[in-house]
Amino acid sequence: MTTDTAPRLASVPEPARPPRPGARLRLRLRPGAGRQMHGGPLTYLVLTVAALFSLFPLYWTVVAASTSNTRITQTPPPFLPGSNLAHNLKEAYTQVHMGTALANTFLVAGTVALATVLFATLAGFAFAKLEFTGRNVLLMLVIGTMMVPPQLGVVPLFMLMSDIGWSNELPAVIMPTLVSAFGVFFMRQYLAEALPTELVEAARVDGAHSLRIFWHVVLPVARPAMAVLGMLTFVQSWNDLFWPMIALNSDNPTVQVALSQLGQGYVPDRSVIMAGALLGTLPLLLLFTVLGKQIVGGIMQGAVKG
Amino acid sequence: MATSTLTDTPAPPPAPESHAPRRQRSLRYWLDFRAAPYAYVAPFFAVFAAFGLYPLIYTGWISLHEVELGTQDQRTWVGLDNYTTMLGDDRFWKALTNTFTIGVISTVPQLLMALGLAHLLNYKLRASAFWRVAILTPYATSVAAGTLVFALVFGRDFGMINWFLDVFGVSPIDWEAGRWTSQIAIATIVTWRWTGYNALIYLAAMQAVPNELYEASAIDGASRWQQFRKVTVPSLRPTILFTIVVSTIGATQLFGEPLLFGGTAGARGGTDGQYQTLGVLLYQQGWGLFHLGRAAAIAWAMFLILVAIAAVHALITRLLRRA
Amino acid sequence: MLTVHKRTRRSTALTVSAILLATLATACGDDGDDSGDGGKVTLNLGLFGTMPYEEAGLFEEYESLHPDIKIKYTSPSDEQNYYRTLQTRLAANSGLADIQAVEVGRIREVVETHAAKFTDMSKAPGVKEGDWLPWKWQQAKAADGKVIGLGTDIGPMALCYRKDMFAKAGLPSDREQVAALWESGWDGYVEAGKKFKADYPDDGVAFMDTASGLYNAMIASSEKQYYDADGKVIYKDNDLVTKAWDLSTEAAEAGLTAKLRQFDTAWDQGFSNSRFATVVCPAWMTAHISDKAGEANKGKWDIAAPPAGANWGGSFLTVPSGGKHVKEAQELAAWLTAPEQQAKLFAKNGLFPSSSKAMEAPEVSGATLEYFDGAPSGKIFSESATSIPVTVLGPKDGAIKDNVSNGIQLVEQQGKDPDDAWKSTVETIDKDVLG
Repeated sequence: MTTDTAPRLASVPEPARPPRPGARLRLRLRPGAGRQMHGGPLTYLVLTVAALFSLFPLYWTVVAASTSNTRITQTPPPFLPGSNLAHNLKEAYTQVHMGTALANTFLVAGTVALATVLFATLAGFAFAKLEFTGRNVLLMLVIGTMMVPPQLGVVPLFMLMSDIGWSNELPAVIMPTLVSAFGVFFMRQYLAEALPTELVEAARVDGAHSLRIFWHVVLPVARPAMAVLGMLTFVQSWNDLFWPMIALNSDNPTVQVALSQLGQGYVPDRSVIMAGALLGTLPLLLLFTVLGKQIVGGIMQGAVKG
Repeated sequence: MATSTLTDTPAPPPAPESHAPRRQRSLRYWLDFRAAPYAYVAPFFAVFAAFGLYPLIYTGWISLHEVELGTQDQRTWVGLDNYTTMLGDDRFWKALTNTFTIGVISTVPQLLMALGLAHLLNYKLRASAFWRVAILTPYATSVAAGTLVFALVFGRDFGMINWFLDVFGVSPIDWEAGRWTSQIAIATIVTWRWTGYNALIYLAAMQAVPNELYEASAIDGASRWQQFRKVTVPSLRPTILFTIVVSTIGATQLFGEPLLFGGTAGARGGTDGQYQTLGVLLYQQGWGLFHLGRAAAIAWAMFLILVAIAAVHALITRLLRRA
Repeated sequence: MLTVHKRTRRSTALTVSAILLATLATACGDDGDDSGDGGKVTLNLGLFGTMPYEEAGLFEEYESLHPDIKIKYTSPSDEQNYYRTLQTRLAANSGLADIQAVEVGRIREVVETHAAKFTDMSKAPGVKEGDWLPWKWQQAKAADGKVIGLGTDIGPMALCYRKDMFAKAGLPSDREQVAALWESGWDGYVEAGKKFKADYPDDGVAFMDTASGLYNAMIASSEKQYYDADGKVIYKDNDLVTKAWDLSTEAAEAGLTAKLRQFDTAWDQGFSNSRFATVVCPAWMTAHISDKAGEANKGKWDIAAPPAGANWGGSFLTVPSGGKHVKEAQELAAWLTAPEQQAKLFAKNGLFPSSSKAMEAPEVSGATLEYFDGAPSGKIFSESATSIPVTVLGPKDGAIKDNVSNGIQLVEQQGKDPDDAWKSTVETIDKDVLG
């Protein structure tokens, strides 16, 4: 279960160039040549199509959520928002405990993101810059865990949670995802390159304890990667479906559990379902609207440095 | 999968023996030096052992038994029966094929489009931030929400796509019922969610391509397209390989999209299993039919397939580096 | 010592953060599901689908009758998910609600595998065996005589049809005359469908929603279905299964169906967009139809007597013995399934009583449905209910039925040859359900 929160972020392997220590970082930050060329009209046309393709389903969610069941199923389909949005949102909100779901998911995703970042940075630091017996074997183990399908251990896990008394409790969803193999690997890759070994050594010579080094040397350097990892983990945790569906009951759901309930029949109104989908996605969309630029920058930075 | 990258980054230099006189080092220093790394990686391994490894091994044990979800306390040892049943079942091979075909028709166009988009985004653009955020937005949408929308859009009777086709005189397509049509629809959902994300990964890698390479090719009189082919793509090769592997792993575990796309038939991957993937088959056997032993066997099969993919990746990376 | 101090600080930092996370999570995950609220007993109910106790005001009524009881319930829409969760929790014997509903297709499996984990409802206060239809009572009875569940509703079937469409196709639209079309049996229903298809002006409208609906109706009107009285699986040799399969695949191949799957999104859309003229409807489905078909189609639907009486659906309320408030839970379950409450549920929500006493109540026998042009639903469903055969149930009834329905869809949607489809269906059942 530790693996299913591994976001699909590429930690790009080094290009096969002869390493030029020292020069490398500076070189990579220099913009590529393509950037100097201006995009032509065709570029804008293709990008517009891509943006439309990306945004239209979301736009249509809004349209569907704001009309009525009958209107959605008529031809031609509606393309402009109707006036039922508030009503449908209210229906979706009450029918599947959406209020509880939103609060739960904020708590779960927030806790998981914080813990993953903390533990991944600690472990990433150790793997990248500290020397200890069995380091490579342990790191291989971490990476190996990424390949385990998340569905693999669900049955014993559920029994375990029942034994602890966490069935239908949020810790059942939080605890297994407190760490992530991807996170450890991501931070390790980042710190291996971004944190000059000399800096660590210098601090060490000054007699600094390794936790002190972590606090004063590692954290400042790691901060951008930590932000990216935290954001990715938050999104991933927010969207997690399989395990929460089994661990939680419908009276204490996460957003995705509530949504899959909406999608499985018996809910009278399609537009209410779409309103639910909108409600469950809205917080992340708001996050993207406000922090979009930073998130994009973070992902790209993570990709290069990772 | 990333084994190769491990050896890639220079290992930190050995302990700083030369820097300080040995005598000054106290027990504290020695402890810190020796024990701290283990303490730092311990939280990961502790949580993983409890909530990852233990269930995993237990699942392996379960796969050698006949176990039903409702009566987990009654287990019958059946040895490798669950595995032979699985290998002798057409549906396993069908699911494997479907996983592969959906994987191909979602991954290939997705990565090609991502590469193209990244190339365009690499130009000097007006409102460049807007384009990037726009194509990344689907990534913020969950599988559940995204699939709910697409299931409506691909509807047979009242879906938008069929309405659109109807405008051009094409008769309505029963997307969900057909093998290829359903797989295309599901691949569309996957492609929609991940193209922008991969484009940004490629864009980042493109921006790291040294200027000199472009300048050199410009001097040689290369056109934009030739630059793209001769400079950009080769420089991106490790990144491309990596995204292929990551997408392949994602495709192997594909689950939520086919399950939710199929509505009430989702758990069997369509009436005829026409879009059942390995992940859905596992779910159906375990949580639809309650055969936990068989589900566990499928889970281990998926695991082995992923290990094989990782091995192939490691091999290719090694060959690439030699070349 | 400095060493100790620093080491402590490090481990403290780690411990503190771990504890912080754990408590934060626990504190917010739990909002008092036990007996809180100043000595009040909170009863948790695990329901599924549409069990409209809340909507019918029954919970409120019970709480006002018993001020020390507080009722909470969950009701996932999908029975498959609900049952999966129930199975897992029964296996772990934890996380169960005080009252758990069980669907009729699952009741034998629960009785045969988990009877020990439930209380004997026949000994619960206020429960009188004579209140229930005998066959309903028997269904939840274990070999040792323990009765683990009390029947809620049953699903006597009728045929719901679109008056306006029948008229347009030149068929009679009066409910007596319509019933006469298929008085001879289900063949008559399919014959009527062929006439409908030939004469109805719009090809986009099918005679029936699904072929599997027809199949299930035919099977349900038979005494023996998938198991014999000794618990042996007999569906392959059951002539009625063969006959039902043949007739429903014939209907599918003749293009009489809308090629939908029941309870799918598209099926619901079919109601609201008037894509089919008939649907086999157990009593509880009338609420579903009026809901999905909507105001626009009010008065266009009507209900006619079926070719043969049959039961589809209906549930049981069980009380797991591991609960904290077994006595209170039993009382509530008994009250909810008592004749008076069953009668109210039919009058308000169309759930047909499994209590013979409730069936005689005037609000049941005299009920009419305004949405269905004032059809005498009480009379029609009561008549159907009295002709329901005492059927032999087996543990995997639900799963076998699902697979045969899917097999019919292979013919209906995928255009497979019926014989091939039957072969692969049998194979799947042998492997997945019985294997």
